Amino acid sequence: MRMAGLFGVSAQFRGRIEAQREPLYRLAYSWCHDAGLADDLVQETLLRALDRAGQLNDPQRLKSWLCAILANCLKDHFRRARPLEPLDEEMPAPGETPEGASASNQVAVRVRAEIERLPLGQRQTVTLVDLEGFSYAEVAEILEVPVGTVMSRLCRAREALRSRLIDFAAQENYKIRSIR
Amino acid sequence: MSHDEKVSREMQNAFVDGQLDAADWTLLVERMGSDEALRREVCELRTLKDLTRSAYAGAHSGRAAPAPERARWARVAAVALVFALTGWLAHDALAPGRILTELRGVAADRILVHIASSRGEVVDPALQEVEDYLSEARAAGRQVRVEIVANNTGMDILRANTSAYAARLERLRAAYPNLTYIACNQTADRLREKGAQVKLLPGVQVAPTALDEIVKRMQEGWVYIRA
Repeated sequence: MRMAGLFGVSAQFRGRIEAQREPLYRLAYSWCHDAGLADDLVQETLLRALDRAGQLNDPQRLKSWLCAILANCLKDHFRRARPLEPLDEEMPAPGETPEGASASNQVAVRVRAEIERLPLGQRQTVTLVDLEGFSYAEVAEILEVPVGTVMSRLCRAREALRSRLIDFAAQENYKIRSIR
Repeated sequence: MSHDEKVSREMQNAFVDGQLDAADWTLLVERMGSDEALRREVCELRTLKDLTRSAYAGAHSGRAAPAPERARWARVAAVALVFALTGWLAHDALAPGRILTELRGVAADRILVHIASSRGEVVDPALQEVEDYLSEARAAGRQVRVEIVANNTGMDILRANTSAYAARLERLRAAYPNLTYIACNQTADRLREKGAQVKLLPGVQVAPTALDEIVKRMQEGWVYIRA
C-alpha cells in the first residue's frame, strides 16, 4: 500500500516540494542563523519527507507538514550536538555588529541579530507567523504546543523586538505604515 | 472583548496577524479610531512584522543552485517508479535483524545504508547488519553491493580523528571489496567552516551531498535503508 501511495503522489508532489525548498531554508536559517546548518537541516527534512511520504494524508498540509519535520530536525540536532537550547531563555547579543554591515543590508543584519537573541521557542513562533504566514493553530501543531503558548511566545517576542528595534527603525527611516 | 476592556497585547498581535474573528476585529478598529496610543502600538507591531519579513527576504541557500535542484527532483520522481518495483525499505530506526529479514523479502542485491548519527545505538546495529548481510551473500555466492552514506554527525564515523569505528570499518572494507563508504561533502564543508579538520578514513569517497548520492542510487535501483 505504501509503495502504491508513493507511486501516485511523487509526480504530483514534486513541484510543490521543490517550491518549498527555499522557504524551508529561509525558515531554518531564521531559527539557527547558520547557513551551513540550515542547509543540513533542509536536506535532512527533505530526506525524512521522502522517507515518510505515505504519512501525509492531506496534500493541502504539505507546507506545515514539512515545517513540523524541520522543527523536529532542529530539535534532534540540538539533542545530538549539545544540550537543548532553552526555549524561554534570552540569548546573549551576537558578536556581529550592524556597523560591520553594508548600508544596504544594515537593517536586515540588525533585525536578524535581534531575532537571534530571542529564545528558540519565541524565534520559531515569530518566524512561522511572519515569514510563512501560518495561523496560530497551525504553529501550535507544527511546534506541538498549545495555541495559548503560541500567543504568549509571540507576545513576548514582539515585546522584546519592539523595545530593541522600534527606535532603530525610526532612525533608519523605516516606513511605519498607516493602518487606516 | 467588551467596549470598555483594555485591548491586550495578545489581541493586538492577533489583529495584525489576521487571527481575530469579525466581531473583535470590528471592535478593535473602532477603538483605534479614538485611541491614539492603541493606534500607535498596532502600527509598531505591523512595522515589526514587516521588518522580520524583509530581514530574511535575501536569505537563500548558497549550496542549492536552481538548475541542479530541478534535475535532482526530477530524479526523485523517477525514484518512485523504482520503489514500486524494488521495494521501499526506508526506516526511522534499525531494529536488530531487520535489514536481513526485509532484504530477503525483495531479493535486493544493491543496498544503500544511510547513517546520519554517530550514536552507538544507530551505528552499531547498522554495521552489524551490513556485515551479516555481506557474509550471508558471500556464503550463498550472490554478487551484492553495499554503500554506507554518512552525513550530519554520522560523518564522524568516517573521519580519521573522530571515528570510534575506524578499525572495524577498515576490517570490513578489507574483507568486502563490494562495500563502499561515502561521505557528505556538504557536512564536511560545514565542519571546515567551524574550523574542524576533516580527514577521512582511507578509501572513503565523497559525494556533493548525502541527498544527491541517495537519490542517484535509488534512481539506479538501489534499496535505501536509513539507519
